[in-house]
Amino acid sequence: MVHLEHVNLTLGGAQALKDVTLHVERGEFVFLTGPSGAGKTTLLRVLYGDLKPKSGAADVAGVDLMRLRGVQLPELRRKVAVVFQDFKVLPERTVFENIAIALEVRGVSSVSIDRRVRAVIRALDLEERSYAPCRELSGGEQQRVAIARSMVVNPELILADEPTGNLDSDLSRHLIELFKQFNTYGTTIIMATHNREVLSWAPEARQVHLVRGEIKPPPPGSPGSVLDTKPIIGGSL
Amino acid sequence: MSTTKLFLRGVADMRRFPLPQLCTLLTVCMVALLAGTGLLILHNVQTEVLRTQAQARFQIYWKVGADLTAVEAQWADLKRAPGIAEVSTFTPRAALSELMRGLAPRTSGGALTGAEGNASSGEDFSWLEGDNPLPATALVSFNIPPDEQPEPWMGRMYARLKGLDGVEQVTYNPTQLTLATGWIALVQKAAWPALGFFALVVGLVVGNTLKLMMLARKDEVEILSLVGARPWFIRAPLFANGVVQGLCGSLLSLVCLKFLQSWLRSVLDVPPLFLKVEFLPLWQSLALVLATTCVAGLASLIAARK
Repeated sequence: MVHLEHVNLTLGGAQALKDVTLHVERGEFVFLTGPSGAGKTTLLRVLYGDLKPKSGAADVAGVDLMRLRGVQLPELRRKVAVVFQDFKVLPERTVFENIAIALEVRGVSSVSIDRRVRAVIRALDLEERSYAPCRELSGGEQQRVAIARSMVVNPELILADEPTGNLDSDLSRHLIELFKQFNTYGTTIIMATHNREVLSWAPEARQVHLVRGEIKPPPPGSPGSVLDTKPIIGGSL
Repeated sequence: MSTTKLFLRGVADMRRFPLPQLCTLLTVCMVALLAGTGLLILHNVQTEVLRTQAQARFQIYWKVGADLTAVEAQWADLKRAPGIAEVSTFTPRAALSELMRGLAPRTSGGALTGAEGNASSGEDFSWLEGDNPLPATALVSFNIPPDEQPEPWMGRMYARLKGLDGVEQVTYNPTQLTLATGWIALVQKAAWPALGFFALVVGLVVGNTLKLMMLARKDEVEILSLVGARPWFIRAPLFANGVVQGLCGSLLSLVCLKFLQSWLRSVLDVPPLFLKVEFLPLWQSLALVLATTCVAGLASLIAARK
């Protein structure tokens, strides 16, 4: 699903990613960990085509990121869904509209949109808020809307950038359970977090630790540590 | 989703950002009004100049006490003369009445009223009727033949009119014609560059205003891009938004321009100016709307692209 080989990236003159080699297979659940500024978000931005590596080889869901042109970006984004810490929902639009937009851009019929959005709203327990503008929702509800928007399109890969960062512990746990459930259906998930508690809720997930743009061994004993569980497939560690 | 649906969505989405939309609409309207005012001035100057530029006007004064029957016969001949555009004639009696009427507004204004007690009817010169000092006069306008040079032709016509029986004096102003001809040449040379510059200014202001408005929709564009929207899916609603802004703004500016024209007309169509300010001709009004709409649409496309 994700194949990065010796990827380097410079941002504002600083080395943001340094010789990153990472392979993630279909159906894996991977945590990207590391302190703030380690390069987690930068790596995710590379994976959804927002940043282009300076050198190396990068392939995500069959799309060669090194040769990615602007017109090909929608193709990548239709395979890869992204969930952010700040939700990125449209505050003036309703829950239904926010979720439906992901299907509308794909040209799905309105009947199918209606059916699929209602199903995902039900699954995420948002039925009562279906027609409320997102600005009226709590943080947890807005994050569920963002997740619903990514789930409704059945993506091959979900990238989540600190999705629990603005949520309390209970909501965070509920969210991780949702991601785990979705992962069991075969969707690959890569989630950036620096919250060790979150790692403990998905101990089966692989952990990839970043420090100053480089992949390093995770701290010993941390949940999901690649040193404790399974090796990175073809990785540099 | 079809292009029509995307356009309709763009129009419907305008209600989500009422304040930026309103501010943009007002800016587009003001800039279009500015451009429209320039067009209005140019159009009216051009009309006024064209009305007079190819005409030569002579004021003919007959001798005081000239035989009115003979004079009227000459007037009849003048009205039949080749190239005649307009003839206004005044018998001494008519000239006296005209003089009294002409003075009426001034005396009724209060400055000269009071002692005479005839404020409403103006100065009373009826006592002069028996011994009227005013001569018979005629104001004659000719269309200068296209194959003639204006000044020599006017010189010849002056000599001919001066030679009429009983004519005391003929006046004309060759400078007026020279000025008019010069103005036409200037307008022909400068109009297009000026209009081009105006269009550029309108384009830049409208374009930048729309680009600023698009900032209000930056998050929407980002989210659409993240969920895999193709460029046209993102740009079509923004384009529709820009087109509607341009259309509504320019139509609103035409309404404002109509008010402005009515006001100018009421202010300028008074003695001694008698300037009749006309509204823009239909094609210029349509051109203003079309140009503003196109610029707005183009600017929104460029803004969405960035």
